[in-house]
Amino acid sequence: MKHLLEFITKHYPWFIFIVYVIMSLMMLVNNNPYQQSVYLTSANSVSATVYEGISSVTNYVHLKDINEDLQERNALLEMEVVKLRDEINEYKLLLPDTAIQPRLNQYKFIVSHVISNSISQPNNYITINRGELDGVKPEMGVVDQNGIVGMVEVTGPHSARIISLLNPNMVLSCKLKNSEYHGNLVWDGVSPEYAMLEQLPKQVKFAQGDTIITTGYSAVFPEGVIVGTVASKASSAKNSFISLKVKLTTNFSQLSTVRVISNNMRDELKELEEKSLQQQEGKKK
Amino acid sequence: MNKSIIQFAILFVVLTLLQVVCNKVILFDVATPIIFIYLLFRFPVNMHKALLFSLAFAMGLIIDIFGNTSGMHAMACTLTAALRLPVINLYITREDEMNSPLPSIDSMGFTCYFKYVSTMALIYCTILFFIQAFTLNDLLLTVERIGASSVLSILLLLGIDSLVSTRREKKL
Repeated sequence: MKHLLEFITKHYPWFIFIVYVIMSLMMLVNNNPYQQSVYLTSANSVSATVYEGISSVTNYVHLKDINEDLQERNALLEMEVVKLRDEINEYKLLLPDTAIQPRLNQYKFIVSHVISNSISQPNNYITINRGELDGVKPEMGVVDQNGIVGMVEVTGPHSARIISLLNPNMVLSCKLKNSEYHGNLVWDGVSPEYAMLEQLPKQVKFAQGDTIITTGYSAVFPEGVIVGTVASKASSAKNSFISLKVKLTTNFSQLSTVRVISNNMRDELKELEEKSLQQQEGKKK
Repeated sequence: MNKSIIQFAILFVVLTLLQVVCNKVILFDVATPIIFIYLLFRFPVNMHKALLFSLAFAMGLIIDIFGNTSGMHAMACTLTAALRLPVINLYITREDEMNSPLPSIDSMGFTCYFKYVSTMALIYCTILFFIQAFTLNDLLLTVERIGASSVLSILLLLGIDSLVSTRREKKL
């Protein structure tokens, strides 16, 4: 016993060392609950302030390209508005009595700035300068003018951390435009410009350059948001599924202004899901 | 003693801020400079091990919080801190060869100090990028990253060293 005590007092720094290694291993291996806590991520107020300062300087660098993107997107939307207006007028002539259902209010956008962003890590995250007090909640979708950016993971009062689409933990349900076949979009960790659309049924027809859009099956993203275009077919002839290499439309190295999508129906949908789960469990009992 | 603690604290804040910027740098798709470990190299040799490990872990953790890397730097820092004394002993065989407990060009001589810094940077980069590669298993890319990042880090570390030490000489 005396020897043991002596051994411990003599070598206690090494015990501390082992404790630290185990702590960091735990942080590495399980993403929660340590990683989920706001204090240990970039969503905490100190690192958010630092990043805000840095980004206020570096934001100017990509301003020209972003402006061009915005102009292009604006032109596209304007054309769409004109087209839709014409269509609505035509329908109104045909069916003068029908009232149009107010469905558009389901989604609301919260505009925010990216203050920190990484594309070189195996797991990438983005920090934005809007948080709980601005109405940002976990599991909200995030888009920019070009396409999908990611999903809110942790929120602080004035900042939030987003799982980037360039993160293998982020799985997005997507489909080919003009087709109902859907698959899962996952980043394979190689290039920030490409991701893989997996588990598509073999019979799906596609051509290079076809547009990939979201399915809207979850409450995170509305249906039809552009994700990317088909670059090539990835070889996987093993089973009845195929994978596509998708060129992402979002330029992750130049993110600056993004929009967080707030879905008014989200709580309702969640409640419904929980209710049905409870009912199922009740039946089992 | 107090003065050197304050110096270390200021250096730590500056290096952390620089590292936050450096985390975004990816030269030639592979090289990311890691400079905040400079502080770890400069701690006195006779420092208590428990304190050394604690400081190393805290440093890594703070960089992790900024970079959203969850434990990668904390682990690499702690492991490198443990390997520090063996590395110094590798290059300095006799105790009296170092005329001050602070490892520096003055106390160790340029060749010894250069070897020490290079070895430590290489060890750090190796640990860090292998932890990162956990999920990716692309060995060639990992080796490229380790090589390029350690070369870049060593150059920057020596640059920082020259800056810090000239300022000290002027003070004296």
